[in-house]
Amino acid sequence: MIAAENIVSSYGRRKILRGASFTASRGECVGIVGANGCGKSTLLSILAGTLKPQGGTVVYGGRTVWRRAGRMRCDRETIRRMTGYVPQEDPLIPELTVYDNLRLWYPDRRALDAELAQGSLKLLGVGAFCRMRADKLSGGMKKRVSIGIAVAGDPPILLLDEPGAALDLACKEDIRGYLRAYLERKGTVVIATHEESELELCGRIYVMKDGVLRQADRGLRSGELVKLF
Amino acid sequence: MGYGRYLYAELKKSARALPRMLLSAAALMLLTGGIAFGAARGMEREPLAVGADIGVVVREDNRMTRMALGYVENMESVAGFCRFLRVSEEAGMKMLADGELAALVLLPEALVEGIMDGRNPSVDVVFPENARLEALLFRELTEAGAGLLRVAQAQIYGAADTAARYGLEGQLSVMEAEIDGYNLAFALDRLSLYDEETVYATGRLSVAQYYAASGAVLFLLLAGMAAYPIMGPEPAALRRQLARAGVGGLWQSLCRWLCGFLYLLSLCGVAALVLWGAGLCAPEAAARLRELLWSGRNHASVWVCAGMVLLALAAVASFHRMIYSVSGSRTGGILLIFLLSAVSVYLSGGFVPSALLPRAVRAAGELLPTAYLIRACGGLLAGYGAETARCAVWLGVCTAVFEAAAYVLERNGDRA
Repeated sequence: MIAAENIVSSYGRRKILRGASFTASRGECVGIVGANGCGKSTLLSILAGTLKPQGGTVVYGGRTVWRRAGRMRCDRETIRRMTGYVPQEDPLIPELTVYDNLRLWYPDRRALDAELAQGSLKLLGVGAFCRMRADKLSGGMKKRVSIGIAVAGDPPILLLDEPGAALDLACKEDIRGYLRAYLERKGTVVIATHEESELELCGRIYVMKDGVLRQADRGLRSGELVKLF
Repeated sequence: MGYGRYLYAELKKSARALPRMLLSAAALMLLTGGIAFGAARGMEREPLAVGADIGVVVREDNRMTRMALGYVENMESVAGFCRFLRVSEEAGMKMLADGELAALVLLPEALVEGIMDGRNPSVDVVFPENARLEALLFRELTEAGAGLLRVAQAQIYGAADTAARYGLEGQLSVMEAEIDGYNLAFALDRLSLYDEETVYATGRLSVAQYYAASGAVLFLLLAGMAAYPIMGPEPAALRRQLARAGVGGLWQSLCRWLCGFLYLLSLCGVAALVLWGAGLCAPEAAARLRELLWSGRNHASVWVCAGMVLLALAAVASFHRMIYSVSGSRTGGILLIFLLSAVSVYLSGGFVPSALLPRAVRAAGELLPTAYLIRACGGLLAGYGAETARCAVWLGVCTAVFEAAAYVLERNGDRA
């Protein structure tokens, strides 16, 4: 489903990714761990199409979305159609209600109402606070809405950048529950995280160090993983 | 995701934020209105006064000389402008050299007698080498007076010679009385020498019009301090998600500019409604204000006025967008808007008219968009002159440049 190969990226002279590669198949959750600033978010931004890499290829479901042809070329339409992206910060308009925020991403009111009644948004529990203003929401509520925005259009790939950061246990459990359901529907999840509980969902774990990804034993506990950073 | 859906969301956000922003703007209106009113009153209380100290050296101090001098001192045109000081010749020359006197008048001995018996002794008037404005005015005054005397003398001598040639010496006193009458009625009519014209340091605009225009510009600029929710940059995560969904940075930027523009337009509408309502409550005050602000010289068409207002609002909205993009935060943006607005309005002559500012400040202020904003607003009251097209083009260019800068700054922020 996802094949990323030799991804290279740098900020100015500082090289962040020096040939990161990994694969993920349908219905699989891949975890990416690493020290702060090691390049996890950079990799996810490239996969989501918001950041241009300097080299490498990314293939989604057999379609190459990032490739070098003289310069880096991007198939944004495929990325947009196939991926949902949950960044670390929440992409919400603070002055609008949750409903109005969601309305921005769903094609029409009927589709949004259906999702709230029996779809992903119901699973995320967004309906309970959809009339609240976005700037009045707790961190957990915002994260649920962010996931709700990412899955608008029902993409087969979900990219999450530290979704559990600063959330309470109940909220983390709700989000994990949603991700389990997503995986059961044969969705593919790539999750950059520090949370051991989120790694439990992962079929494969990659450790990012010095700009490259190395697959780690799935059975390692967080203390042992840290030694690999 | 459609472009229309994003625009709709931005407009909805603006509509929700509007009441609070209007309240903040109303507080600002009171503040800027007070500043403009105070400045206008200050200008009215301090007219530019020009006066000249003239030294007089009297070589023969007798009754006739004193009478002649008293007559000149009390002439209306001279008394309003000159103050005569009796000095010795030596002291007068020193004061002239020190710049304390605008001119020194040296009266000869037997002045009056000489005039009466036809010897006509000359009166010397000494001016300083680097004559100031007062000295130049006094020179004009004395030359005009000397010219009048020459003409009057020619008339008297002409009349005497003509009367002698035709044997009418007995009628001479009647003829002289008639000549005196004509001179007093026409030749000595001061209005033919001094035409009264009021000149404003504010150019074509009256003081009230000028401060109404600069107050309006300052108000519009400061109104941006309340507009962060709609004109400030969206959260970076939202901007990136929107770009991912196909709504590019340029469209996002234009939508926020449009919201800012509509906010300023609604602000103008509310201000107009408030003024209209106040006019209904106090018709006399409204009539006086109308008399003060509308000179009746405004022959610009409604379309030109509307166009200039829209261009001015467009430029101000893009200025706010750029400042918020530069600052990157609400507090920084508010501070920057306040500082830049106050400084640029001052440099453009919004507090003290440009004509009274130092030359370097005046030159710098001429280049600022605020100078054109003041002209655009002033034109609504006093009509647009030859500079209309230049003003419109300049405001259009400012709008494009500020908005482009806001877009580039936000895009670079997203890349970082």
